[in-house]
Amino acid sequence: MQVSQVREPLINGEKSYENITADVMAPVRAKPGKLWFFGFGISALVMLGGFAAIAYTIWFGIGTWGVNRTIGWGWGITNFVWWVGIGHAGTFISAILLLFRQKWRTSINRAAEAMTIFAVMCAGLFPLIHMGRLPLGFFILPYPNTRELWVNFNSPLLWDVFAITAYLLVSLLFWYMGLIPDLGTIRDRMKTLWKKKVYNFLSFGWKGSARHWHRHESMSLVLAGLAAPLVLSVHTIVSFDFATSVIPGWHTTIFPPYFVSGAVFSGFAMVLTLMIVTRRALNLQEYITVGHVESMNKVIIATGSIVGIAYITELFMAWYSGVEYERYAFINRAMGPYAWAYWIMMTCNVISPQLLWIKKLRRNLTFTFILSIFINIGMWFERFVIVVTSLHRDYLPSSWSMYKPTWVEVAIFMGTFGLFFTLFFLFIRVFPVIALAEVKSVAKSSARKFIRKSSKNQKPEKE
Amino acid sequence: MSEENKYWHILEEFEPIKDERLPKGREEVTSPTSRRNFLKVLGLGTASAAFIASCKRPAEKAIPYFIKPEEITPGKAAYYASSYFNQNEFCNVLVKVRDNRPIKLETNPKSVVTPKGTSGRVQASVLDVYNVNRYQHPQKSGETIDWETADGEIVSQLRQLANEGQPVLLLTPTIISPTTKKLIGNFAETFGAEWQQYDAIPMDGFREANQRTFGVNALPEYRFDKADCIVSVGCDFLGTWLSPVEFSGQYAKRRDLHNSDSQLNKHFQIEAGMSLTGSNADVRIRAERSDYGRILAYLYNQLAAKKGAPAIAVPTPPQEITPKLDEVLDDLTANEGKSLVVCGDNNPDYQVIVNGINQLLGNIENTIQFERTYNHFRGSEKSLETLLSSSPGAVIIWDVNPVYNHPESEKIKAAIEKAPLSVAISALPDETTELCQYVLPSPGYLECWDDAEYKTGVVSILQPTLHKLFDARQAQESLLAWMGNESSWLDTIKNNWASTYFPQQNEQSDTERFWVETLKKGELVLDAPSVTIASNPDEIGNSLNNINTENQAEGFTIELVENVNIGTGHGPLNPWLQEVPDPVTRIAWDNYASISPAVARQEGIKNGDVIQLGNLTIPAFVQPGQADKTISIAVGYGRVNGIPEELITGVNAFPLAKAENGFRQFAVSGFSITKTGGFEQMALVQGHQSMEGRPIVRESTYDKWKEDPASGNEMHEEIKHHHTTLYKEHEYKGHKWGMAIDLNKCTGCSACVLACNTENNIPVVGKKEVRRAHEMHWIRIDRYYNGDEENPEVVRQPVMCQHCDNAPCENVCPVAATNHSSEGLNQMAYNRCIGTRYCNNNCPYKVRRFNWMDYTGADAIPNNRYDPANLTMDLSRMRHNPDVTVRAKGVIEKCSFCVQRIQEKKLTAKNEGRQLEDGELQPACQQACPSDAIVFGDMNDPNSKVSKMMKDPRNYHLLEELHTLPSVGYLSKIRNKS
Amino acid sequence: MRTIIYGHFTDDSDLLGAVKILQEKGIHIADVRTPFPVHGLDAVLKLRRSHLPKVAFIAGVIGAVLMFSFQYWVFTEGWPLIFGGKPYSSILSFIPGTFEITVLFAAFAMGIAFLVRSNLGPGSIPDILDEEVTNDHFQIILSAKDNTLSETELAEALEATGALDVKQVNTKK
Repeated sequence: MQVSQVREPLINGEKSYENITADVMAPVRAKPGKLWFFGFGISALVMLGGFAAIAYTIWFGIGTWGVNRTIGWGWGITNFVWWVGIGHAGTFISAILLLFRQKWRTSINRAAEAMTIFAVMCAGLFPLIHMGRLPLGFFILPYPNTRELWVNFNSPLLWDVFAITAYLLVSLLFWYMGLIPDLGTIRDRMKTLWKKKVYNFLSFGWKGSARHWHRHESMSLVLAGLAAPLVLSVHTIVSFDFATSVIPGWHTTIFPPYFVSGAVFSGFAMVLTLMIVTRRALNLQEYITVGHVESMNKVIIATGSIVGIAYITELFMAWYSGVEYERYAFINRAMGPYAWAYWIMMTCNVISPQLLWIKKLRRNLTFTFILSIFINIGMWFERFVIVVTSLHRDYLPSSWSMYKPTWVEVAIFMGTFGLFFTLFFLFIRVFPVIALAEVKSVAKSSARKFIRKSSKNQKPEKE
Repeated sequence: MSEENKYWHILEEFEPIKDERLPKGREEVTSPTSRRNFLKVLGLGTASAAFIASCKRPAEKAIPYFIKPEEITPGKAAYYASSYFNQNEFCNVLVKVRDNRPIKLETNPKSVVTPKGTSGRVQASVLDVYNVNRYQHPQKSGETIDWETADGEIVSQLRQLANEGQPVLLLTPTIISPTTKKLIGNFAETFGAEWQQYDAIPMDGFREANQRTFGVNALPEYRFDKADCIVSVGCDFLGTWLSPVEFSGQYAKRRDLHNSDSQLNKHFQIEAGMSLTGSNADVRIRAERSDYGRILAYLYNQLAAKKGAPAIAVPTPPQEITPKLDEVLDDLTANEGKSLVVCGDNNPDYQVIVNGINQLLGNIENTIQFERTYNHFRGSEKSLETLLSSSPGAVIIWDVNPVYNHPESEKIKAAIEKAPLSVAISALPDETTELCQYVLPSPGYLECWDDAEYKTGVVSILQPTLHKLFDARQAQESLLAWMGNESSWLDTIKNNWASTYFPQQNEQSDTERFWVETLKKGELVLDAPSVTIASNPDEIGNSLNNINTENQAEGFTIELVENVNIGTGHGPLNPWLQEVPDPVTRIAWDNYASISPAVARQEGIKNGDVIQLGNLTIPAFVQPGQADKTISIAVGYGRVNGIPEELITGVNAFPLAKAENGFRQFAVSGFSITKTGGFEQMALVQGHQSMEGRPIVRESTYDKWKEDPASGNEMHEEIKHHHTTLYKEHEYKGHKWGMAIDLNKCTGCSACVLACNTENNIPVVGKKEVRRAHEMHWIRIDRYYNGDEENPEVVRQPVMCQHCDNAPCENVCPVAATNHSSEGLNQMAYNRCIGTRYCNNNCPYKVRRFNWMDYTGADAIPNNRYDPANLTMDLSRMRHNPDVTVRAKGVIEKCSFCVQRIQEKKLTAKNEGRQLEDGELQPACQQACPSDAIVFGDMNDPNSKVSKMMKDPRNYHLLEELHTLPSVGYLSKIRNKS
Repeated sequence: MRTIIYGHFTDDSDLLGAVKILQEKGIHIADVRTPFPVHGLDAVLKLRRSHLPKVAFIAGVIGAVLMFSFQYWVFTEGWPLIFGGKPYSSILSFIPGTFEITVLFAAFAMGIAFLVRSNLGPGSIPDILDEEVTNDHFQIILSAKDNTLSETELAEALEATGALDVKQVNTKK
């Protein structure tokens, strides 16, 4: 049946249910190509390099980093906040857009969620390795011990522990529950027995019974309802690390909304960066369409503008508060020794996304791709500006100091990219990148042309 | 003897440690010697050492540790009165001995000379005892030999030379020990030897001037406490001149404003380079080094004109300073008899003029007294004449290092090498000992018996608190041995005391009793001799003429100064001293050429640019307040021999000094600056010099203060009004510890920093780490400039953990490693800390320190130690204060208000069933402060000194607007501008 | 020992039609298997509303109570410490932790409940009659046991709805 031309179709080309299965499963079935091995190899290498740097840090101490008596947190926490931000798109898309019944989410949510989980893994690394005594890191868990010593529930860092853990686990759950039916599909397409067995194990023995579907749907809805506030809570709590402190430039009540929108902003940018490549590589252009890209760009304009407003509000409040330390902190951001970082942030996050008001650019893949990278850079610098420039000149000028990273910190950051892409490369090989069942469920209503196989007494042609 | 063998046993195992050292400094230092073993053996010896401190038991008969000697209770500290004297620096001290090891030096409050505080060097000196680089046995040209052979050979050669009538030279530092002087006298007789005392930085010019004007070759007592008006011409009397600890105390008395009737003194400093003293002055007048003579002459002539005394016209100093000098004159004449003029230059003519001025002002016998003259600084240019001109047959060099610190270095080298017999008596290897055939190790002063008459009529005793660590022998013992004198050195001292001082007192009737009692006090005060002062005015005329004929300096003048901590650079270059930043420039681990901002701009020089001055290549440092034509360089750096690689730092500036008509001058003209294009990053601890107009250090002037004691501190009350709180504040029943710091008294001498290092086992991180802002000091002394860069005013502020009641750091620690005690202490549980550094970020005062690497060797992971100064070896570790945890890599540490001292004193009070008295317990910093600027106590006790100071209108809290409620209060600085 | 009759459709709307017809005939449908949740199917099959949300709610409440009281206990009874001048029971600080644990409990309780209820889970072996069900087959399964009609009649009825290759198998259970 034809879709109304008012709304742009979410699936291009002529598709039957069978085609959809075939298309989406292609990468899982086919033998990985040279390109895949190349990409996977590189990322794995970089990852190992990162791990080496981490080992070096643990062995010789944080002294191998550039941080010092004044700037206790450098790239470490910057990267942490950045990665957590990246990890916001997935669950946002699948949870909040599901609640808002946004059909276009269906073709991107799976990959986005995977990305979320990997990003949160990378993020979680940093609070651990930036500890002076990682081997004793387990102290942050409130476990019963002979000293009857517990943790400090006043500490935002401890809240982080809970927030990140909860977020990671719930996202994982949400993601996997969505995967179960599709894993079933793969199982049934697999020829070799052991693969069948593996995928059956993974699919928890899914058989597509109507009752299961019924429960599955109501569960997904409630999970979405739970995950939605969770997404918002995570970066809120991360922002508390700064907002609850006394350091000028950190001590700001605007942080929670500002951080959350910033997170979604960067998250979507990262999804775009990945999707624009993936749809090409796995030729899923018909499922991840320019339409999808455009709708994501719209979200980017919205969140980007919020971020911009937040920046300006900060500046205004610094002046309006009349607190000389606050004022200095922001003058220093814009004109101090780290001004370059501030202006990179401003251009990438505030000015560049505004270009997306132009429909042409919004629908232009190359432009979007470049822009998304700009945004990621900008958001990284936002965190750098907040962490470093606020600390390096705080209250007592006698302690003012400068910070620049050492090779160790750089290697670790690169390493997390390695980890991220290694996992992503594996993901696209073993799991369907697109939520099969969900796409099928909207195929009729929103495919450009849907091929309906009549069931009337003639055998359907098998391939 | 068995323990003797044990010592050897240990020594052998020390050798590899030294060699294993990695230049990079990151390496685990392993040694088979278990610390326990070492202690056990040490215990044997030290027990006895402590034992003989009060009875006749000879040291050899050691008592095993398991039979407990009365003095020693394991885990309880014993204190022994002794004294520190090293290269003209003297201080009466109490040596804190814990489990048989001296670990800390404390003020001896009973002392007459230094009743309050010590210098930083004194505090750090305990580390030198445990220096791994010490000579450990006698050597002959590098080969280890035993004492018998050494003595045999040396004595025979000495006798031979004596018979041949060849000159024998005994070169010593200034000796203030009366008994030693006698001993040396006998020695000189026996061998026809010539005895010379040598000072790296002599003050013979002063003695000479006093000889000329007053007819006494002496260094008088300067009474800064009696002076209402102090005028110092380039004299760093609070930092490095004559007797700084004493002077700081006197000076501080006159900066005390606690009672309304207190009279603030007025301090003018006329100087070229910014000195510690100058940075404390009420009025600092910036003048060229080469103008000092003219300035003094001008002051004299103006006064003379007023007094109708003869004046000789001398070219007047530059126009821009004469009006300021006239102000100075007004103040001086207003305070006749209550003023004091001093000058730091060794030029006797200058000193004669100074004497003249003081005479005209009637300060002699008032602020300058000749009863208890100083006995140190005996060295003069003549000391080395024999060595330089007539080549002596034998040179015995006792703990001086002329090869390093004398301008004629090369000649001296040659002379020593040429001498048929050259003997060095020294604890440590240095440039001079390396040249001598025989090297006889001498023990550190904490292992020695000695006596000292620093000021005439005040005689103190030095007693050993530690059995000799190595196969060392005191120089005096050597002399005795060579003279074939059987009696022990201790007996010699006691006999001398019995014959000399016992008759002069009437408290004790029995010589033995007398000895023991004095030993306990550590000091014997005899009545001051009366001195008659001559007055020869024509001397002043001559000196004025000499100044008149002084030829005008062209080019840049280099003035050599002493760094407050490094001094003349004698001895082992103590890493603690090296790491404490200079109180003015805030640079550690290096010396540099201070140039004025103006010159820097026109020459295009930035901090760290390496410049060429004559044949001296040295990094430049732009110093506000520096005179344009004067470049200041600290001596005491650039030592090479006998110190670990990491401590070799800076360049040796001594060669620049030169003798002028028989007196060593430390200011030399005719230099030009050339940039080499090189750059050296300096270990600058404080990069930012301005307070950015923030109310961090609050100050006012004396006049304003008289009207309103709260002047300059008005905001304190205002902020109090704004304080509101969501939660009601905690109640602290019992004690509530607090500290008040009087910014008007703190001179910035850094003694507190070093005391803190010693007390709290603070690691040394080395130059590279300090550059990276990884220094570990728990207390720092911030320094800010205000006003124009030409001649800014300086304010200082010691900052340690403020122990806030609403501590931001406590909230954010995820593992509750830092929290608040019921006595208001902000406490750290090192074992619990996992090193997130969140507390450090959230500390507005940035007083928390993080163990970036394994500085202490306390880390569990092997082979990752970072110990550039070799302070984690078995021997050097014995300095540790056993009451304070040695922190591992990756944990945060900070000032604890010396909680271990608090607990100790509380316990004592409890055992004695009484309340703690105010001032009974003092943290290390307060203990060591010579100017009494730090006061610690219980704020719940309304009568305690600290709570009184907290109520003082001058009191405020650092960043109090943040409502962190610190337990540390600062009393605003008051400058005397009237 | 029971007999199962099944057939499939290749389009969801056909399936819905067929289900309606069978129900009109009063035939009880044992199970329907589809590649994706067919819109309106549960209504037609009259499936009861799931209890999972209730499970989530209860678990959430438990989590919240546990976490909050734990934190409160630690700070007031367990080991009361003074942090930054705050009172021992600084309730505001307990909110973030409590919230996270609430969500965590709710989500996982529900997830587990789902699996248990539908006895899915690692290692469970499904009785798959037609592998295309996870691709594009919409399958209706009838059981002779809970129907009055005979196997053949059922098969015919199913055929009549247009179901493709209707088969009949015997399974245990």
